[in-house]
Amino acid sequence: MSDELDEIQAIFFEECAEGLTAAEAGLSAMKAGDADAETIASVFRAVHSIKGGAGAFGHVDLTAFAHRFENVLDEVRAGRIAPSSGVVKVMLSSFDILSDHVAFAKGSAERPNDTAALAALEEILKNGGAGEAGEAPAAPAAATVAEAPAPAPVEDEDPFGFTPVLVSLDDFDVVEEPVAAPPPADGDWIVRFGPSRAALSNASEPMLVIRELESMGAEIVDVDTSALPGLRDLDTEDSYFIWKLIAPGTLSESELLDCFDFVAPDSLIEITRCEAAAPAPVLEIETVSVASAPPVVVDDAFVPIEPIASATPVAPQLRVVEADDPGKPARMEAAAQTIRVDLGKLDMLLNLVGELVIRNSILADRLSPQDQQRVELPELARLTRQIQDNVMSLRAQPIKQAFSRVPRMLRDLGEATGKQVNLITTGDTTEVDKAVIEKIGDPLTHMIRNAVDHGIESAEKRLAAGKPAEGTIHLSAEQKGARIFVRVKDDGGGINRERVRAKAVERGLIAADAVMTDEEIDQLICAPGFSTAESISNISGRGVGMDVVRSNVEALGGRVEIQSVPGQGTSITMILPLTLAILDGMIVKLAGQRFVLPLASVVEAVRPEPGQVMMTTPGNEVIEMRGQYVPVKRATDIFGIADTRKPEEALVIIVESEGVGHVGLMVDTIDDRREVVIKSLDQNLHPIRGLGGATILGDGSIALILDIEALVSHPTAHRFAMKGMAA
Amino acid sequence: MTKASDTTLDRKIITFSLGQQTFGIDMRAIIEIREWEEPTPLPTVPSFIKGVTNLRGNVVPVVGLAERLGWEPSKIHSRSCILVVNINGKQAGFLVDEVADIVAIASAEIQPAPDVEIGEPSVISGLIRITVRGKGEEKEAGQMVLILDLDALSLTKHMDIAA
Repeated sequence: MSDELDEIQAIFFEECAEGLTAAEAGLSAMKAGDADAETIASVFRAVHSIKGGAGAFGHVDLTAFAHRFENVLDEVRAGRIAPSSGVVKVMLSSFDILSDHVAFAKGSAERPNDTAALAALEEILKNGGAGEAGEAPAAPAAATVAEAPAPAPVEDEDPFGFTPVLVSLDDFDVVEEPVAAPPPADGDWIVRFGPSRAALSNASEPMLVIRELESMGAEIVDVDTSALPGLRDLDTEDSYFIWKLIAPGTLSESELLDCFDFVAPDSLIEITRCEAAAPAPVLEIETVSVASAPPVVVDDAFVPIEPIASATPVAPQLRVVEADDPGKPARMEAAAQTIRVDLGKLDMLLNLVGELVIRNSILADRLSPQDQQRVELPELARLTRQIQDNVMSLRAQPIKQAFSRVPRMLRDLGEATGKQVNLITTGDTTEVDKAVIEKIGDPLTHMIRNAVDHGIESAEKRLAAGKPAEGTIHLSAEQKGARIFVRVKDDGGGINRERVRAKAVERGLIAADAVMTDEEIDQLICAPGFSTAESISNISGRGVGMDVVRSNVEALGGRVEIQSVPGQGTSITMILPLTLAILDGMIVKLAGQRFVLPLASVVEAVRPEPGQVMMTTPGNEVIEMRGQYVPVKRATDIFGIADTRKPEEALVIIVESEGVGHVGLMVDTIDDRREVVIKSLDQNLHPIRGLGGATILGDGSIALILDIEALVSHPTAHRFAMKGMAA
Repeated sequence: MTKASDTTLDRKIITFSLGQQTFGIDMRAIIEIREWEEPTPLPTVPSFIKGVTNLRGNVVPVVGLAERLGWEPSKIHSRSCILVVNINGKQAGFLVDEVADIVAIASAEIQPAPDVEIGEPSVISGLIRITVRGKGEEKEAGQMVLILDLDALSLTKHMDIAA
């Protein structure tokens, strides 16, 4: 039992994480001035869900805080409190506390001190919606409903004016008597609501939904109890009632639908505009279920509505608005179509598909040319590739998930250091393997903390240097070939190389008279031991936890690059593999051995004319390309394999690299072009500079995948130099 | 040598030769034994890493065990083979001169390793004497087997030192 509970609780925390992400996105949008109803509603929903779940699991503190937060959000949603920048700011910090509360409930953090945040929220409630929260009208009269919906549901105080009633069966009649009275006026909404069994087992309390509707001015006119079986057959977990309510016509359909946000999708929900003509059903979510829901729910739902379009002109129009609003259909589909899958199963599937791809190409290689032309083989290859793409996309997640924690960090750091920092994020939709996302969280934290703590100068210093008082951190992600580049770039003071060097000498990391280039000194900040200085905050150079960054990134088979310009800032780049990704590669022969070049970086291939490749200094060659001189690398330069051929006998492949621009690689021949499955070398060995991994070719042999960036940009391997120094 | 009946034969080792020495590796670590096949060479790795090979879809490094232990590199001949082992979840192939036998031994009989001179003493976890089967008149003669500690041989650990 407790295992089950743990499992359910784990799901709750996952949902919390999703909710928090959504809420933060919404709040950030509000901060940026985009405070439309849908944004506010999304934040509200997120906090509301967290509160609901927390209550169910008995996380008292979390529930209490979320409740207060929700009250404010509800006021904002109802338009009684304007989402001014001050209010949004309080909400953002409340959001931070809420995240901490979730962490506390999870047991992964201390209980946050929420007194200040609670007080701030209370303050907003007092000033914004003065008095209303405390003293609610006994029943929502028609007049109040017209100008504004009734106040927030504050359970403790029961704003609906329900007095506790001693429940006896007779009371049903008593309750029904008064509400059956008002006949539906023309233009009012008729809402029929019959929660499904699933809705009840999801613990969505129908009473809450009805209360919410009532708070908007709706009244129960009828309860259909015809489905109610005899007492003997009564299943306490099933639902038999269908409520019929009349809501004022002044409400919009979407407002009504909002009340049903948390109701399981297979419940009966009918919202009908009461017209002089016969009422027509407008929207039924009845049929949407997890198993059968088609990918395009919207289209499907639209079809049955069309015939009645002429009878009820309002209805289709509203439906179109629904369809155009990206938030809502997505939400409905998400509710119907998301399943949670154990990551291990996904990994297994991915491995199997990888094998399938390899077998497929082995098969292709074994078949005779005429057999290869037959339709079955390309068909099989195509299917395999589709399966592979799909499985890959299952694991790929937008890197946004890792970036989402950064705004919060910047707020915290801003508070701690007094430095105001703007965040610019680009490429956060770049899709990366989930494992990578999980592992870059820590390094990213350190990189951001470093950038704020040591990179960005104080406001006075910045102004004196002619920079804006607010610092800027540019967080970006980008996929290049088989690698993903995650970069944190600040516009601070850059690395203070003298200080770094002095510190490294003091720590015994380098000899006092070591001759080092600027780049090598920059790399020192990642040296283990450099960051363990007890007086780290006294160093104006960087260093906190950078060895954590380096070791984490290297454990992933990646590397860290640091660029720093004194006075202008520092950029630290994590270059990470897209583990197990598929690479579109060109297979080339280099000194008799096959290698894979990522096709993404190949610009062109040329067979040099005699004299087109010239030697500048011994061991350094350039190729003349349409008047431009491009450096040429040989296998000798790269792997120390002897290569004495004449340039005319080789092919030069011009590749593009981030660091150096165009570079020529001298290869023997181009063999093939194909998609290869990347097998990381560090799975059984360790990452090797210059190699992005290995792959298994059609004949079962191994070809190494070249990492262009590392090959061409740094002829001397930094990491080895680093290791030597560290040892 | 004590009679087998006196002690429980609770472990199995696979014995193989490297030059003049006989070594043993715990059977549980062995994934498979395969014929020597030239691996794909890797750049910028220590010379004892011969390259990588394809083991059922996995890219597995092939290590010249003799060189790794500090001796002359093994010469490739018809009985050269690759012992594929699992070291803490990582796979590696060891090039050995000849696989000899699978022997049941008693843990209690393993003697602690003396400080053998191969750079890192911890590579040898213990010594044991075994009787060699099928050698005619030498039947009674025992043979000393050096049992390798695979964790200490861990490639990645060594890689850090090498790099």
